[in-house]
Amino acid sequence: MSDYDVIVVGAGNGGLGAAVTLARKGLKTLLLERHNVPGGSATTFCRGRFEFEVALHQLSGIGTPDNRGPLWNSLKKLDVLDDLEFIEMKDLNRIVIPGVLDITLRTDVSSVVEELGGRFPREKDAVSRFFELVYRYAFELYSYFTNRDAGADAVPLVKRYAFKTAQQVLDEFFEDPVLKAVFGAYWGFLGLTPNRLPFSYLAILFFSFIEMKPCHIMGGSQALSNALVNKFIAHGGAVRFNCAVKRILVKNGSVAGVETGEGDEITARYVVSNASKVSTYVELLDREHVPDEFLKEMSIKTPSPSGFCVYLGLDCEPEEVGITAATNTIMNSADLSDGQYNRMHALEFDADTDMVGFSCYDVADSRFSPEGACQVSLLTLKYAEPWLRLPPTRYYSEKYRCADAMVSLMEKVCPDVRNHIEEVEVATPLTFMRYLATPYGSVYGFDQYAKDSLFMEHPRETPVEGLVLAGGWITDCGFETTIKSGISAAGTIMRSLGAER
Amino acid sequence: MKEGLIQQFEGYGEVARDIEVCRKYGIDYTLEKGSVEKFINRLHPGRMTLRVADIIEETPLDGTLRLVPEDGYLPPFQAGQYITVSLETGNIRTSRPYSIASPPNQTGYYDITVRRVKDGLVSNHLLDRVERDDVLVCSGPAGNFYHNPLIHDRSMVCIAGGSGITPFMSMIQEIVDCGLDREVFLFYGSRTLEEVIFRKRLEAIAGRFPNIHFHPVIENPPEGYGGYKGLITGSLVKDVVGDVPGTTFFICGPQGLYDFCVPELEKLGIPGKKIRTEAYAPAAPISNQPGWPENISPDDRFEIRIKDGKVFSARAGEPLLMTLEKEGIFVPSECRSGQCSRCRVKIISGKVFQPAGTPVRRSDRRYGYVHSCVSYPLEDLEIMI
Repeated sequence: MSDYDVIVVGAGNGGLGAAVTLARKGLKTLLLERHNVPGGSATTFCRGRFEFEVALHQLSGIGTPDNRGPLWNSLKKLDVLDDLEFIEMKDLNRIVIPGVLDITLRTDVSSVVEELGGRFPREKDAVSRFFELVYRYAFELYSYFTNRDAGADAVPLVKRYAFKTAQQVLDEFFEDPVLKAVFGAYWGFLGLTPNRLPFSYLAILFFSFIEMKPCHIMGGSQALSNALVNKFIAHGGAVRFNCAVKRILVKNGSVAGVETGEGDEITARYVVSNASKVSTYVELLDREHVPDEFLKEMSIKTPSPSGFCVYLGLDCEPEEVGITAATNTIMNSADLSDGQYNRMHALEFDADTDMVGFSCYDVADSRFSPEGACQVSLLTLKYAEPWLRLPPTRYYSEKYRCADAMVSLMEKVCPDVRNHIEEVEVATPLTFMRYLATPYGSVYGFDQYAKDSLFMEHPRETPVEGLVLAGGWITDCGFETTIKSGISAAGTIMRSLGAER
Repeated sequence: MKEGLIQQFEGYGEVARDIEVCRKYGIDYTLEKGSVEKFINRLHPGRMTLRVADIIEETPLDGTLRLVPEDGYLPPFQAGQYITVSLETGNIRTSRPYSIASPPNQTGYYDITVRRVKDGLVSNHLLDRVERDDVLVCSGPAGNFYHNPLIHDRSMVCIAGGSGITPFMSMIQEIVDCGLDREVFLFYGSRTLEEVIFRKRLEAIAGRFPNIHFHPVIENPPEGYGGYKGLITGSLVKDVVGDVPGTTFFICGPQGLYDFCVPELEKLGIPGKKIRTEAYAPAAPISNQPGWPENISPDDRFEIRIKDGKVFSARAGEPLLMTLEKEGIFVPSECRSGQCSRCRVKIISGKVFQPAGTPVRRSDRRYGYVHSCVSYPLEDLEIMI
């Protein structure tokens, strides 16, 4: 007899989605998490009187009361909707190119068309047509993935645009590079500049945010992770924090359990790994259990960027420093091609070249921070390699130098912000590496080039029977997809058990 | 997937070629084995094994342990941060955080200075039983009490009480060793002159460097003492420092120091964000803390039930973490002052006292998670570790 039916390694979105589903089905499940709180990226931390949100900027897939989205349905399956309060964000994004453009887009098409039409009158029609394409493309994608028997000719837009980059489509529709940059600005949520990013991801993002509205969660993403753990425990699940897994144990080609960092062996018939795919295959499984073909398949993929974040607790209301939108992007230029991509490979943050996204949740909901205060999280994507090459003795000085430059860029839009900083914390790619234990501190799993995109066949099998993966490394990045990957992982186990009976 | 569908998409040829090339020149991820841990350990090792290279008597109450790494490497840290020493004494597995007193510009050793606490479990163990060449298991450096160049002023007023001098010793040495452009006004409150730790060294530094000002403030000074006497008041700070705008205040010491000094500084009109305090464990008896229920004495006892585990009795006046440790239940801990959330446990039923201002995440509060190092049972409890 095994100690557990299933052991879930990691309490990120994927692990939690799996754990709750399995416990609700009555399986004896153990959830192991190396950190002292659940969530992985979906977490918060306290400094002074602030509780800072780590990762969630705009949550997709919740939808509105008359139009519920896929994440709402996932959370309904997990039975945590009653435990959560979602706050709809009224702004899509405020996009600023200092001296060139400062525009705030709302979350409905007609207002975006009006807003952009006012600024780019000759291209107003093109903006309308672009959104028409986004909508028709999203619907075609849906029919493509639900009924593939209809053939490629039933989905002419998918056939035409599936392998186009976002930049190719923006070039097809628009003339003004500034207008293209307005649409391209969201690349930061997806990890690749528009000239490398498949159009599909940008289209899905716009469709989702406009059709189903971006949200935030009261209490931050930690409220979600905690609600899921709570549900898991309520259904008899066992959870251990501060418990890392060192190895996944294999016997006769099948999963046998795990060995913890403390050297305890715990047996189980199934293991769900919410560790990165790389860690699972390279660190947790012994080499002899991973056939070359699995490593070969993984070898074509590149790890996504990590991030550099500055979390600011301000001693004032957002308006006082000129923050008018919950989600903001500041760019120094409209050119979002390889020049911008290459900036991700530079260690330093340059206030006159780099771009930054920043969120101030208090604009959407004043309860987010203490009264009379607000919080800002500034994010830029950076690959970890230059940070790995840095001598440790220079780490702190570089960290503050880059953070200082990032605040300088914010000052171009909010000139007085520095005078209002009460608390500050900085996260480098090494910080993400430390807390997520992902290779190169990647925050989005593998990069999402066309060759890795949703149209390509992703292998469902793992090298070992009884081992199932969940999380951002086997699906597209984001909360919506990672939670769903956990539910699917649980489904795989239920089907396998069903087949046994 | 239906074969042949994506092959009909525009641009498929190029994607197929990409895949072919990548299969040939892809990444061998097996070479990364162990790399994440190795990179992270250079800055944030979860655990360090340190050997006691020297023991230095500082005052009749205090001793410094000079710790060197067994494996030859110590990570850099930010002056003001602490390490947590884990040990077993009197059959109790426990831990204590100690600020690093040595400066971060050298990582050949870390100094920690331990003040003897009357009946203290760990301080007496470290001062009386630990010898040269003994090995201590410690956490990596941690903590949020340091000069942050993004928001803190170049002019610092540092207020220390008792062994709270240690983070400032590290900061001051770094400033003078590295020639940092900062000015420090150090007020060091002590009961007696003999108990002033690092007095000679601080006087020497202040004598040599015009940007370091050292002001011991003695509560019970010897007769004829010419220095500052009594407590560190706002007016003393103002008299010595002069204009206070453009200055950040750092305070480290026992709870009484904060209770007295923070209001004194606020009276000078210093905004809260300019006053940084190191985390501290609440002073005993806990029943003196604001909000402690009148009808419960610290000596009242309640029953603690661990989910699927043992049942035992606990004193209301003792932190839950300490009670658990005495019962042989190990809970990892680091700051032991309510800040870091390492010792987070879930209260399934029953009520605990948590001092006001303990930074617990909102959703943690909702589901009953507490930081056990600063939680005190007020009723029978069922808890989950």
